[in-house]
Amino acid sequence: MKLPSLFRRTPFRLTLLFLALFAAAASALLGYIYAATAAEARRRAEGDVRREVAVLQSVYEERGVDALNQALVERTLRGGPYLYLLMQPDGTPVTGNLSESPLDDFEPPETWETFRLSQADERGRVVRRSARGVQMQLSRGDLLFVGEDIGDTEAHLERVTQALWGAGALVVILGLGGGLLISRNVERGMAGLNEVVAAVQEGDLKVRARPTGARDEFDELAAGLNGMLDRLEASMTAIRHAGDAVAHDLRSPLTRMRAKLEVALIEVENGRGDPTAALETALSEADGLLKTFNTVLAIARLQAAGQIANPEVFDAGELAADMAELYEPASEDKGLDFKAEIATGLMMKGDRAFLAQALANLVDNAIKYTPGGGAVMLRSRRRSSGEIEFSVTDTGPGVPEEHRERVVQRFVRLENSRSEPGSGLGLSLVAAVAEAHGGRIELAEGPGEVDGYGPGLRVALVFPGA
Amino acid sequence: MRVLIVEDDNEAAAAMVRGLSEAGLDCTRAADGADGLLAAQKGGYDVYVVDRMMPRMDGLSMVETLRREGDRTPVLFLSALGEIEDRVTGLKAGGDDYLVKPYAFAELIARVEALARRHETGSVQTVLKVGELEMDLIARRVHRAGKEIDLQPREFQLLEFLMRHAGQSVTRTMLLEKVWEYHFDPQTNVIDVHISRLRSKIDKGFDRPMLQTVRGAGYRLEA
Repeated sequence: MKLPSLFRRTPFRLTLLFLALFAAAASALLGYIYAATAAEARRRAEGDVRREVAVLQSVYEERGVDALNQALVERTLRGGPYLYLLMQPDGTPVTGNLSESPLDDFEPPETWETFRLSQADERGRVVRRSARGVQMQLSRGDLLFVGEDIGDTEAHLERVTQALWGAGALVVILGLGGGLLISRNVERGMAGLNEVVAAVQEGDLKVRARPTGARDEFDELAAGLNGMLDRLEASMTAIRHAGDAVAHDLRSPLTRMRAKLEVALIEVENGRGDPTAALETALSEADGLLKTFNTVLAIARLQAAGQIANPEVFDAGELAADMAELYEPASEDKGLDFKAEIATGLMMKGDRAFLAQALANLVDNAIKYTPGGGAVMLRSRRRSSGEIEFSVTDTGPGVPEEHRERVVQRFVRLENSRSEPGSGLGLSLVAAVAEAHGGRIELAEGPGEVDGYGPGLRVALVFPGA
Repeated sequence: MRVLIVEDDNEAAAAMVRGLSEAGLDCTRAADGADGLLAAQKGGYDVYVVDRMMPRMDGLSMVETLRREGDRTPVLFLSALGEIEDRVTGLKAGGDDYLVKPYAFAELIARVEALARRHETGSVQTVLKVGELEMDLIARRVHRAGKEIDLQPREFQLLEFLMRHAGQSVTRTMLLEKVWEYHFDPQTNVIDVHISRLRSKIDKGFDRPMLQTVRGAGYRLEA
C-alpha cells in the first residue's frame, strides 16, 4: 500500500479529520484548565498575602518599624510560605528573606506582581518558581513587600499538562493506527466489488461479487450488485434473443417476399401474371412481417421491463366476458362448442390491453387447433389461494408433456401445427404478459381422449389479485 | 374535405399526400409542429393529421396550443409510440384518434373520413336513419323498411357505429377499438364473424345488401 494512495482513502481521511478535531478540543480544554487553575492559585495567594500584610501592618502601626523588623526576623526564621522584604523609604533593604524587591516599578500605595524566584532546592539545584506578592508604602514611609510562593500549584499544572499531551500523543498514534486498519479493512471489502465493477465495465456481465459471509454492509452491497447484474444480464439476454429472433424469423419471410416480387416483375414484364395480385400478396406478407416484428418487440419490452409500465386496476372477469363474447361467433362458425364460465369482480392490477391480447391468443390458439365438433371453454375464477385464474381448455390434440415447456419459447411450433398460419410467438407473448404481471402460465392436459378427440390442452394464467 | 398533414419525414409525408389525394381528400403538408401551428391558425381544415415526434415543436404541444386557442378541429395523431400510455397522453392532449405506425392506408383514410364527418354532425340524435334502416336509440329498436330486426346488445352497438359512419369505410381495427373498446390484435378476423351475423339479420330477405365489404379496408354501410 503506497502512502499517497492511503491519503485518498475515505476512512483514513475521516480518521485524520477526527484526530484534528480531537486535538483542537483537547488543546482548548487544556488551555481552559490551565487558565482557571492559575487564576485560582493567584487569587488564593493574594488572599493569604493580604491577611499577612494586615497582621504586619497592625504591628507596624501599633509598635513601630523596629517591632515590624523584629516580627519579620522571627517569621523568616520560623519558615513558612511567605516572602518578606522590609525596605527603607529609598528602597534600601532592611530585613527579609529576599535580597531585593522583585518589582521593577513601584507605584505607591501598593503594586501587585507575579514574578520568578530562584531558589536552591534540597539537593542544591537552582529551581525557578513562581510567586505573587505586593509591595506597599507603610504610613511612615517604609516599604514592605510580602509575597507567596505559588510554585506548587504551577508544578501541579505542569504535570497535568504533560500528562494531557502524553495522552494526546497516544490518542493520535492509536487513531492513526486505527484509521489505517479501518481503511485497509474497507479496502479489502471494496477490492472485490471494484474488481466486479471493472469487469462489468469491460463488458463481462457474467462476473459476480463473492460475499464474504460477514453479513456486513459489504455483503449487502455485494448482494445488491449481484442482483443488479442478474437483472441486467437477463435484460441483455432478452434483448439479444429478441434481436436473434427478429433476424432469424424475419429473414425467411423477407427472402420469400423478395423472390415472389422478383418473379412477379419478370412475369409482368413478359406480359403474363397479374400485377395487382402480386402487389396484394406482397402487401399482406409485409403486414405479416410487421405483425411478427411488433410481437417480438412487445415480448422483448415486457421481458426487459419485468413489469407493467402504468398499471390500472380493472375487473379481469369482465375482460374474460368480453373475450368470450368476441370469440364465440368465430368458434361456433368453426363448428366448435364454445362455453364460458365467467366469475366477475376479479379485480387485478395491470395492463388491460396486454391481458386482452394474452387471452385472445389463448382462445385463438384453442379455436385454431381444435378440429370441428370439439369444444373450447374459457373460464375465469378466483382460486382459494386468492389468486385470479383464467383458463382456456380445448379438446384438440394437446401438447405432449415433454414439449410443454418448449412451446412457451419464442418461435417454437410443433410439427403438426406448421400447416396452420401463425408466427409461433403467441404463447411466448402470453408468458411474457403473465410474468410482467407477477403471474405465471400453466400448461396441462385437457379433458383427455374422448370419442377420438383430445387429449386436449388446458392453459391457465394465474395472477395475484389486486 | 381539407386535411392538414403535419409530418417531418418527407417521404412519409409525400406518400400520405399521394394516398389521401387518391381517396379524394385535399391535402396540405406542414413539415413540423411550428409550421403546422401557423397553417392551422389560418383555418379552413376539416381534420389535422399530426405526427407525435417532430423537430422544433412536437405534435403534442402543437395540438395543446390549438386546443387552448379554442380550435376544435378533429385531430388524428400518428405515432411510432404504440404503448397504451402514449395513446392516453395523445388523447388527453386533445387528440381525437390515434394511429400507430406503420398503418395500412385504408386505415388512415377511414379514420380521417370518420373524424371529418363526425365534425359535421354535432347535434344529439335520438333516431338514426340510413336509407330503409331506422334505429331508435332510446327504445333501442331497429327497423328495415318497417320490419323489426331483433339484435343482440353488441350487434346493436355495431350497427349504431356503422350507421353513424354510413357511406364511409370502417376498418376492423376501428370496430374493435370503438365498439368493443379494446386495443389489441385479435389474430384471426373475429370481427368478420360478428359482421356476417349482423349482415344476415339486416340484409336477409332484402334484394339490396346494405352492409358491404370493402376490399382491403373493411366494411361500409350503404343507404
